[in-house]
Amino acid sequence: MGLKIVTVLVRFLEGMFVVGAIGSFVVLVLSGIEDLKMLLGREEEENHS
Amino acid sequence: MSSPFQPTSPSNRVRIVVATSVMLTFISYWRAAAIVLNDLASSAFYACGIAEQAVGKSAPWFIVAVMLFSFAVRAVYVESCSMFVRGGVYRVVKEALGGTLAKLSVSALMFDYILTGPISGVSAGQYIVGLINEAFITADVHGWIPRAVHNLFNGTPQLNVNATSVVFALAVTIYYWWENTKGIQESSEKALRVMQITTVMVVILLAWSALTLYKSGYQRVPLPTPDNLHFSKESLGFLRHSFPEQSLAKMFGLLGILIAFGHSVLAMSGEESLAQVNRELAHPKLKNLKRAAIVIAIYSFVFTGLSALLSVMLIPDAVRVPVYKDNLISGLAMYMWGPQILRLIFRGFVVVVGFLILSGAVNTAIIGSNGVLNRVSEDGVLADWFRFPHRKYGTSHRIINLIVVLQILTILASRGDVYVLGEAYAFGVIWSFTFNSLSMLVLRFKYKGERGWKVPPNFTIAGIEMPIGLISVFFVLLSTALVNLATKSVATVAGVSFSVVFFVIFTVSEHVNRKKHALAKEQMKDHFQLLQSDTVDRDSLGIRPGNVLVPVRDYNTLNHLRWVLEHSESREQDVVVMTARISQFGSAAYGLSSEQIFSDYEQTLFTRAVSVAESVGKKISLLVVPARDAWSAIAQTAHNLDSSAVACGLSSKMTTAEQAFALGSAWEAIPEPKRQFVLQIVQPDGIVDTFRIGPHTPTMKNEDVVLLHRLWLNITREPGLENVHHHDILTEALTRFAHDYGARDREDIVKELRRHGAVGEPLPVRRIADQIHTVQPGAPRPDPDAGNRDDGPPNPKGGGSE
Repeated sequence: MGLKIVTVLVRFLEGMFVVGAIGSFVVLVLSGIEDLKMLLGREEEENHS
Repeated sequence: MSSPFQPTSPSNRVRIVVATSVMLTFISYWRAAAIVLNDLASSAFYACGIAEQAVGKSAPWFIVAVMLFSFAVRAVYVESCSMFVRGGVYRVVKEALGGTLAKLSVSALMFDYILTGPISGVSAGQYIVGLINEAFITADVHGWIPRAVHNLFNGTPQLNVNATSVVFALAVTIYYWWENTKGIQESSEKALRVMQITTVMVVILLAWSALTLYKSGYQRVPLPTPDNLHFSKESLGFLRHSFPEQSLAKMFGLLGILIAFGHSVLAMSGEESLAQVNRELAHPKLKNLKRAAIVIAIYSFVFTGLSALLSVMLIPDAVRVPVYKDNLISGLAMYMWGPQILRLIFRGFVVVVGFLILSGAVNTAIIGSNGVLNRVSEDGVLADWFRFPHRKYGTSHRIINLIVVLQILTILASRGDVYVLGEAYAFGVIWSFTFNSLSMLVLRFKYKGERGWKVPPNFTIAGIEMPIGLISVFFVLLSTALVNLATKSVATVAGVSFSVVFFVIFTVSEHVNRKKHALAKEQMKDHFQLLQSDTVDRDSLGIRPGNVLVPVRDYNTLNHLRWVLEHSESREQDVVVMTARISQFGSAAYGLSSEQIFSDYEQTLFTRAVSVAESVGKKISLLVVPARDAWSAIAQTAHNLDSSAVACGLSSKMTTAEQAFALGSAWEAIPEPKRQFVLQIVQPDGIVDTFRIGPHTPTMKNEDVVLLHRLWLNITREPGLENVHHHDILTEALTRFAHDYGARDREDIVKELRRHGAVGEPLPVRRIADQIHTVQPGAPRPDPDAGNRDDGPPNPKGGGSE
């Protein structure tokens, strides 16, 4: 029973880590493209939301 | 004269303007990046060694992964800085999650800051001792060690690495304790120089490593798969009692990866510094912040990530962990391709760079902790007692003492073990990031106002914006922080204990302060009218141009204020008494919030100032200005208020000429157009030294005037030059001088001026603020039309400023 709870908790943490890692990679790519545009001077104006 | 605490009618209350904006001198993104990298890049010297001891030979891949992930963490900080110019964990968490969690997050941040000092100091010691021991071995091989010394050590002399590192770390910490007590100035120039030297080392390291890979080959770095993870007992923390260590990674394949990632997160320590330098970035702020973030991200990835990979590729397994685990970059230098002498020289260079950057991180740790504690103290969550200024130097020495005592205890407790320090350090790093990202996530839903920038991607579902990027970063940080709680037993016990102790101190202090300040506020209401103003200007103070600015700090030395009041005519000239609240690096990230409490010390200081004014029968205006540097604050305030004079007391650590030079330098940093003014330094014996700040007609020596006159006599005898004036000759002479200085005779001119400087008064003072003359106490007031004679605050209509 104890091991089952631990397993569920561990799987939950693993899932959170994997989802987060994939999303963070997307953040890295998108912000990288934006940075590249800024460095090349193509950004017309700063992104105001 | 009324007693300071007699009830006063509201109309008689003295107005105190508290400026809520810190007066800063703005810096370029290169300098901002250099300041952050001084902290962030220092982890390259120890992060991989610690990670490899914990997870095995595939550690460099995890360091690379952490450095890539740090790009995303940096994006969160950019968003928080775009929302709050005065960003940083405390401010962001307080806005999003309230005061209790803000105190908890600051406790974790303090743990991070406090440990930055010991880990950097001990690591620098490891590099230095490693080099000394290597030098002993080389000397012994060549027979350069005397036999007596050889016999004394029963072989090659070797220093105890950990013990000597502890001594070194203590020495560096005590050195910076004293420098900070005296009030060291944080210099972006110094940070830039250190990073330039580090860059030279990194370029040599990478180029030489590439050559070595080509010439000597390399060993493979095992891929970061569960099968390749080899956890030590220590690296499993509390889990080592529950699971057989070798099967753990296989039982929960991904958990092994997560544990290994958690052991590598300290590679990105120092990110918080980005929020702290943000306030000082020049316009356009957001663009420059992004540029600084890119520079930091790429630099730290290349240096920390690649050096970690190269160390495993080039240093043989037999010596990498046993010999070089705590000075891995030195080990890398020793296993380059080429002659040994060159490798030793390069290792020496690595040690010098390591010393510069790591000892700089010790200083940053003290300054950062001091800044954060000053900030929370200003917010009333730490007793005012801690902020009481040093009698001589005016620094918050009690906070500095507390920080340094904690650091010294940490160094002694670690016994020079970098691994233990690194494991504990990661606790503060990961939890302060986690709190920050959680707060930013909450603020996405709670705060609908304008943001300069948002972490991408964001999708809108049913009218609700889903911050996918922020959620992702938070998930990685939270899962890592939770796993670290289980796998880093030393960090968990030490970090939780430390955070709880600090949290209790903050909570009790806040409770005590609330009662105390309620009473103080009542007294304040009777005597002072507290007004908050975002900027310092004449309108907020209700004063006229040509006023006299009187900076005060110590309530026991207000002679200069008395002198100004006795020598000025209040109908013509206003007197503004100003105190600079120094917010050092760290607290500059935070502004003074509206609920900020006017400190006991400032209340006493101004009460005394008002007493002096009352005794002379004159009115004064009171001003509190937050600033990073007192001289910049004085120069900028004098500029903003159109002051014609600044009257200071004599500094306990500077001569009058040095004070004038410091103020002159601060004045030079103010953008044009700017007004010149006079600086008067009133010494305790009543003697007043007067200086002019900014360009002005120099005081000419008599022999120079005679020379000029003789030249004029000769020149006007030339045909067609009868109408030449003295100033025409000066113009011609200066034009020729400028031409020579800019072209062929620069060296000669510099040499000659240096020679004059050696025998005369210091040149920098002459360059910026020329001393006019000294007047004795009680000398008569000058004729306003007399120009340069100064024995009282200059009259706005007179010759105060040229």
